[in-house]
Amino acid sequence: MSFLRKKRLFIILIGFIILVALIGFSLRDRDNLTGVEEFINDTVGWAQGIIHAPINFITDIVGNMDDFKDTYKENRILKEKLAEYKGLIYEVQELKEENEDLRNNLELTDSDNMRNYNPIQATVMSRSPERWIEQVTINKGKKDGVEANMAVITPEGMVGKVLAPSQSTSTVQLLTGFDQFNRISGTVSRDGQEIFGMVEGFDKETESLIFRIIEESKEDLKEGELVVSSGMGGVFPAGLPIGEVKEVVPDQYGLTRTALVEPAADMYDINQVIVVDRAVQEDTENGEEGE
Amino acid sequence: MKRLYLPLILFLIMVLEGVALELLPGSLLTNDLLIVPHWVFIFLVYIAIFYDKDRTYFSVMYALIFGLVIDIVYTEVLGVYMFSYALLIYVVHGLKKLLHGNIFVTILLGIVGLALADVAIYLIYMVVGITDVAWKEYLSIRLLPTVLSNLVFLLALYPIVVKKLTAWGREQLARSNPI
Repeated sequence: MSFLRKKRLFIILIGFIILVALIGFSLRDRDNLTGVEEFINDTVGWAQGIIHAPINFITDIVGNMDDFKDTYKENRILKEKLAEYKGLIYEVQELKEENEDLRNNLELTDSDNMRNYNPIQATVMSRSPERWIEQVTINKGKKDGVEANMAVITPEGMVGKVLAPSQSTSTVQLLTGFDQFNRISGTVSRDGQEIFGMVEGFDKETESLIFRIIEESKEDLKEGELVVSSGMGGVFPAGLPIGEVKEVVPDQYGLTRTALVEPAADMYDINQVIVVDRAVQEDTENGEEGE
Repeated sequence: MKRLYLPLILFLIMVLEGVALELLPGSLLTNDLLIVPHWVFIFLVYIAIFYDKDRTYFSVMYALIFGLVIDIVYTEVLGVYMFSYALLIYVVHGLKKLLHGNIFVTILLGIVGLALADVAIYLIYMVVGITDVAWKEYLSIRLLPTVLSNLVFLLALYPIVVKKLTAWGREQLARSNPI
């Protein structure tokens, strides 16, 4: 019996050592998943796709019915908007031509534009049941050109970045799970001057992103101003909306100010996303931090 | 062939865990309570109580395998679910030898095992630095809602699986070697 007890203790100790080793292995900076992980991710993703198909079918039908109900109301609003757009289109046309002319003068090609990107459409398959880990799985992977650190957006704004691509699925880290290791260089643009800063994580209590203002400017940030990605970090393209400023507070040392930014996209109700493949390829070594 | 049923069911439950959270309305996720589905663990408790004989440890083996798969697919921090699931299923397996397997014992072992497994996950994540929730807060916003919601799943499963598992256990483990 005492031998059995010892054996039991021994096994638990070995288990503990394996646990520590595995955690250590997975927490170090990994560029790629191991083959085994990719295989399991793809298999599970495949099964999730099968379960997803009929449910999507039904929700689509229900969604269509809802759409019909709203059509009349929307139609009226859209007609009003359309009138406004006509003016806008003309203006955009002008600006585009002007922009092109200026670019031609500077001899920049189209692919040098920081705003350009190739969209990869994807569907969200599952969300991690472990709620402390804010990550979702999408049904596009390396085969479709998804790579680590690409930005993931919905039409409303940014939702996160690709954490680990497998062959046909990838995991996406949501903005709500960002920490100081996953920074986004953002900017508040207004007439005349821009305010640069870093989105440095998510504050659970206020449910908002922490936007640390790097460059002190004379004018203060105001509520409701839009924070967009600046494209300076070399990973995300410029101009992806991140969120709106909710409040400006001094940071814990009182030296700089941070803005609490409410994410533009709803992190809890995502179905269709777009993976953003930035057209400008700078040195990829730099992109490690996702700044 | 019948031996493949259990891993297949476990796999299906594991896939459902993730898909369910995606499909549920967003309002469930935005409120303050963190409800974590531990359905795989619940099913493993059933396997430990009704399928396994005293000398076989299939439930612990499945806990190791599917804990690791959950880690890989859903969390990217390997070993956490694997270790806590396996350890607590082992404890449940040990306790069931002392108690007769009926619904009250199942509920008791299910609650105790689940609560301890979630606490183990919390402690490991705390040490690793993934979460920094205080103990008191954790108790009220995560542990209680999680245990209660999984208890519903446990009760719903009882009439469906008990007879099947007992029959399969009798059939498959009568002559097999203990592992």
